[in-house]
Amino acid sequence: MTGFTPDLLNRCIACGFCLPACPTYALTKDETSSPRGRIDLMRALDEGILPADDPRVREEAAFCLGCRACETVCPAGVQYGDLLEEWRDQQWQGTGRPLVARLLMILVDARWRVRLLGLLRRHARTRGGPQGPSLMLGCFERALFPKVSRAARRLFPELAAPAAQGCCGALHAHNGDSARGRRMAEELGRRLPGTIVTTSGGCAAHLSSVLGRDRVKELSQYAYERDTPGGDPAETAGRPRIALQDSCHLRNGLDVWREPRAMLERVGTYVELPSAGTCCGAAGTYALVRPRDSRRVLDAKLDEIEAAGVDYVAVVNPGCYRQLDQGLRRRKSRVRAVHLAELLAGERPRRRAQ
Amino acid sequence: MPVKTTATGEPLDAATLRELRAIVGAEHVRHADGDVTPYARDATPLFRARPGAVVHPASTEEVAAVLRLAGARGIPVVPRGAGSNLCSATVPLEGGIVLVLTRLDRILEISAEELLAVSQPGVTSAALADAAAAHGLLYAPDPGSRSVATIGGTVATCAGGLRGLKYGVTRNYVLGLEAVLGTGEVIRTGGRLWKDVAGYDLTRLLTGSEGTLGVITEVTLALLPAPGTAGNGLAYFPTLADAGRAVTRVIAAGIVPATLEFLDARCVDAVEQHARLGLRRDAGALLIFGDDGEPAAVAQRLDRMAELCRDTGAIEVSVAGHAAESEALLAARRCTLPALSRLGSITILEDVGVPRPRIAEMVGHIDDIAGRHEVTIATFGHAGDGNLHPTCVIDKGDDEAAERAHLAFGEIFRTAMRLGGTITGEHGVGAAKLPYLTERLGAAQIDLQRRIKAAFDPAGILNPGKAGS
Ligand SMILES: Cc1cc2nc3c(=O)[nH]c(=O)nc-3n(C[C@H](O)[C@H](O)[C@H](O)COP(=O)(O)OP(=O)(O)OC[C@H]3O[C@@H](n4cnc5c(N)ncnc54)[C@H](O)[C@@H]3O)c2cc1C
Ligand code: SF4
Ligand code: SF4
Repeated sequence: MTGFTPDLLNRCIACGFCLPACPTYALTKDETSSPRGRIDLMRALDEGILPADDPRVREEAAFCLGCRACETVCPAGVQYGDLLEEWRDQQWQGTGRPLVARLLMILVDARWRVRLLGLLRRHARTRGGPQGPSLMLGCFERALFPKVSRAARRLFPELAAPAAQGCCGALHAHNGDSARGRRMAEELGRRLPGTIVTTSGGCAAHLSSVLGRDRVKELSQYAYERDTPGGDPAETAGRPRIALQDSCHLRNGLDVWREPRAMLERVGTYVELPSAGTCCGAAGTYALVRPRDSRRVLDAKLDEIEAAGVDYVAVVNPGCYRQLDQGLRRRKSRVRAVHLAELLAGERPRRRAQ
Repeated sequence: MPVKTTATGEPLDAATLRELRAIVGAEHVRHADGDVTPYARDATPLFRARPGAVVHPASTEEVAAVLRLAGARGIPVVPRGAGSNLCSATVPLEGGIVLVLTRLDRILEISAEELLAVSQPGVTSAALADAAAAHGLLYAPDPGSRSVATIGGTVATCAGGLRGLKYGVTRNYVLGLEAVLGTGEVIRTGGRLWKDVAGYDLTRLLTGSEGTLGVITEVTLALLPAPGTAGNGLAYFPTLADAGRAVTRVIAAGIVPATLEFLDARCVDAVEQHARLGLRRDAGALLIFGDDGEPAAVAQRLDRMAELCRDTGAIEVSVAGHAAESEALLAARRCTLPALSRLGSITILEDVGVPRPRIAEMVGHIDDIAGRHEVTIATFGHAGDGNLHPTCVIDKGDDEAAERAHLAFGEIFRTAMRLGGTITGEHGVGAAKLPYLTERLGAAQIDLQRRIKAAFDPAGILNPGKAGS
């Protein structure tokens, strides 16, 4: 099998520095579910030491969250995210792909279906083609959290939000069809010709990798650059205490993590969680494909959130939103998950009664 | 160096697997191809051998039970921490069980009163250092791999690091050990005492024994009060010999600094190409010096070292103004290996040691040997303690280059020994250096080491094919 770009695979010097950064290694303490171990499996595939249908090889391609935390600590600059895409391109052909991922991919594959997803929800929308920057509505966010795009438009009325814009293709890229993922991003780039602003860190990273970083702004970046004022920083009484859940691809792929913190400091007292930068277990389709592992990753984080004594945990990605919202509800926690855009737009959802 | 693979690694027989499962639980015994493939190697390039099974015990009792079983059946057992060693010490060359200690990952105690820590072996070196720092204490050993290397692995290899001259190496901090011998017997050596001469010093013997004498299951470590501050400076010299002379003068002036690291011109070039730190590329060598302690004393020593460098003909000298700048200087040293690794696809990092005054001479020999064998070798290392890391980068699949590198390193080891040095300063013997060990130690000592090994491990199951074999 030669589905790997040799330069990507050869970059790894097997130093193991990535082990302590990996959430799945933290769960198992097993080399085979570490980044270095997975790269070794890829090499074994590449060299024919292991067959493509080896059960553990399949398992690890799925067990990996794709969070790319391993990239940030790698001294040799291994682009693990790219390797994982190439790996899943090979493993997740046809029926090899998890069923849930397959269904979701079909769902968002055509623009009209994406539009349908949001049809009954009151997400933001504007008529006519965009002139200046536009707001990406996302495929699932428009259905699950339409209030986020509304908040974003309230903050930045200049953003056009045409409903017929389709999906960025990140879903495809991370689920074994990177070629289609690229094409979808290119297509979206044509439909939204100027700067694309997105409330999803994951989409921002994928779009940037295809369209270039200049074309794409994640919301906190956009807000930061515009110096968007929040509440009155002088008024400390009654300021909410807010923690943040980084979006993995935003932080690890685009190195954007200062901006959301800076913005949160304008609207409340920012509280850094020890694990703010590590994956919450949402990881794209992961929470649906592997609910058990996803919860194992989440659980320690929920403990932390509750111990931190915060009012909100802010998110910058719809997957994390769903993951934390559900997790906190399950625990009957009083802490609310809320998107950064909502907080910046002045919304202060009430703490849930216990 | 031809790729070392062995045809062993037959899965263990069903009865043995069943018993192993009964000891540690079914999910902690793995033997299928995909499960064990990543355990065929560690951080050492060119060595690979598939284990028969991988076992993850969670307690001393489980380790002991596994060793009793393996001893009775004559099954090799290779202890493994994070697998970050650079001498193929955890490659199971004779198959058998790779015994992974990473689940034993609790820090049991940090005592500010007694200045010590008690830890299980699977805790990383950095985690222990952080826990100590939270109590205002310093765990001094700081191998470059501290974020990943385990306490068990660093004790078993007697890991060094960037401040060996001032602080010594891991062995200087191990007060006591709990270890399981090849027989399955559990022993506790040393303890919480700085002074304790009851019997042979088995703590020191186990330290650096590379998993060939026993499996370390608990470690008691000495801590120090954390220094108030740390600072670094940097000097460029026309040649490495000049840098070597500067080091000699620093130490002759009564300064024992925490950091004295050097990079040769090839390393500087590679670092600059990859990291663009703004280093000068026209010098023959770069020296990073640094110290820690009380702020005023540190500043004074840094200035004095800078002055001595200038007096020895440094082209340019600078001292970092504040902590962030200081860290940035060390970054040049930290990214040397990855920067070099970008020059090819296989990076062979070696680890010779020579008496400090002979560093420049040794590097001269290395350049000469590399030239004769037509391989590129860049050298960096710890100027303070004479530990050099000549590093050769070759391309995957280029067997001829691998063979030339192998010959060149053979000569480098012999040259180091001729200069009164050693074949490995801190990375260990493993399988990679075993062929040179007799030359280093002599026949009588090798014999004695084998007899020692037989006393700890009569069945010869612990990490066979490595030191002591
Ligand atoms: C980029 C890089 C930089 C490095 N920098 C340094 C450095 O500055 N200084 C330095 O000294 N080393 C350095 N190393 C080498 C390596 O990190 C050390 O040798 C480290 O001590 C290995 O720890 P480990 O947990 O990875 O052990 P492993 O690699 O898993 O094992 C190493 C040896 O210890 C034995 N062992 C492991 N755990 C136990 C146990 N519980 N009981 C008994 N035996 C055990 C194994 O059998 C093996 O022989 C570096 C390595 C890399 C990749
Ligand atoms: S840190 Fe990078 S080079 Fe090191 S093992 Fe992990 S991926 Fe490979
Ligand atoms: S992407 Fe995340 S889960 Fe996957 S190997 Fe890297 S750190 Fe581990």
